[in-house]
Amino acid sequence: MGTRLLRIALVFALLAPSHLAGQESRVAVIVHPERRAELSPEEVAQIYLRRKRFWDDGAAIVPLNLPSQAPLRVHFSQRVLNQTEPRLADYWNRLYFDGILPPATLASTEAVRRYVASDPNAIGYVPVSEVDGTVRVVLQLE
Amino acid sequence: MSATTSQNRLRCNQPSVGCLVVLLAHFLVALVSPAAWAASEKETPFSLGQTELEETFGANTPLGRFSYQAGRGLRLGKTGLTVGGFSTVEAEFLEGGERRGGLEELNFLISFDPVPFVHLFTELGVGTLAELERGRKGVHSNPSLEVERLYLDLGTNDALRLRFGKFLTPIGRWNLARIEPLLWTTSEPLIVEEVFDDSTTGAMLHGAVFPQGGALSYSLYGAYLPPLDAESDEHPARYSAGAHLEWASLKGWTIGASYFASQLENKEWNHLGGADLLWHPHRRVELSGEILFGEGSREDGRLWGLYAQTVVEVMRTLYLVGRYERFDPPGGGRAINLFDLGFAWVPVPYLRFKADYLITDHRHELAEPGVRMSFSLLF
Repeated sequence: MGTRLLRIALVFALLAPSHLAGQESRVAVIVHPERRAELSPEEVAQIYLRRKRFWDDGAAIVPLNLPSQAPLRVHFSQRVLNQTEPRLADYWNRLYFDGILPPATLASTEAVRRYVASDPNAIGYVPVSEVDGTVRVVLQLE
Repeated sequence: MSATTSQNRLRCNQPSVGCLVVLLAHFLVALVSPAAWAASEKETPFSLGQTELEETFGANTPLGRFSYQAGRGLRLGKTGLTVGGFSTVEAEFLEGGERRGGLEELNFLISFDPVPFVHLFTELGVGTLAELERGRKGVHSNPSLEVERLYLDLGTNDALRLRFGKFLTPIGRWNLARIEPLLWTTSEPLIVEEVFDDSTTGAMLHGAVFPQGGALSYSLYGAYLPPLDAESDEHPARYSAGAHLEWASLKGWTIGASYFASQLENKEWNHLGGADLLWHPHRRVELSGEILFGEGSREDGRLWGLYAQTVVEVMRTLYLVGRYERFDPPGGGRAINLFDLGFAWVPVPYLRFKADYLITDHRHELAEPGVRMSFSLLF
């Protein structure tokens, strides 16, 4: 009986992390509920590279990032921007030379969600599991 | 007050540097009006302080959080001002026996973004602060304030923006990122250094559209004002105009084409064409190159030249660099072939140490063979 319980516990222990990892790897790109735009992964990339800087109504887009070591950001950068960190750093150095800064960084996905909920011009990304009614999902990435 | 009405109210019948300054001042006055500030206020739970690199230090002030990030400048709270810059220490050991070195660059980058549709930017240099040269006694210094760039960008649309002022001439890729902290070698290609004016004082229409797969950007520009703060030893074209078209793929390659027309004093127009390429065939490899042909703005006569450069990341933060150049100067002089071989060490994105050795097929005043080193910093 004890061995059986141990096996069941082991099975749950093995399944649980992979289940959470699956949740974390699904990224929702979010905007304010008033913002009706639909975005493709390429458009999101252009926004996060600061090439596309205005919404269709002329308002300036405020892209939000997570800290550089955050796993979700690493996943997002690889999935959407398809660039290594040294190459991205070079890219941002070139833009800094023209007075253009990279997306602002917030400390947590909670902070990103709260900011996006309060600013109609902001765009951010959070785990799908953290999306609520205060924001609208414009793109979901596996 | 919109930017368009501001422009209409101010008419400059005689193009001059003074007119440009008055124009910029006029915009600044308009932008600091209460209405403009009110438009920039947002009801958000917290302000955006940090950017890509971690905040090095910061302090809360009545104007918002003053936040400094190494390599990204000091953001002055909610004022929309960012102040940063770069600096370079260089040393040269040339085969002809020349030895010199010193603090060659200390430039400040100042941007002002009071409202989303306005970007005012300037790059100010302070000249040579300290230089040592073999055969000369002591440290020589020649500090002076130089306006390298000063422009105003206006627009609320990615596809169309308007720029006024002094800006880098958009020919190829190199000239738009010509400072040491952004480059892989200590010397720049002859087709960038010797053919056209680095900067243009005038106006530019520029923008980008985003078809599937990348970004298509353009610039159309013309110089109609006397060059702002031109170098005393240079003779910029009186009038010039040009265009640059670039496709930047999201898969890691960029291709561009340039056209530049210039009129030297009392002469016919010269025409220059070119193409440029940047490609990352592998995540550790960067290939780039440019070609120019026609007539430049520095000297009459047909010329052509090219460079091809390879950068390989051999280990984390260490890069090997090789560049081949060929330059057929105007006036029928002997063509020059150059090889530049070296390395760059980039321990963090805002520090860069470089050393390279330039080899030429014959001695020429435009390219002296020897070893060059530099240590540069973005701050």
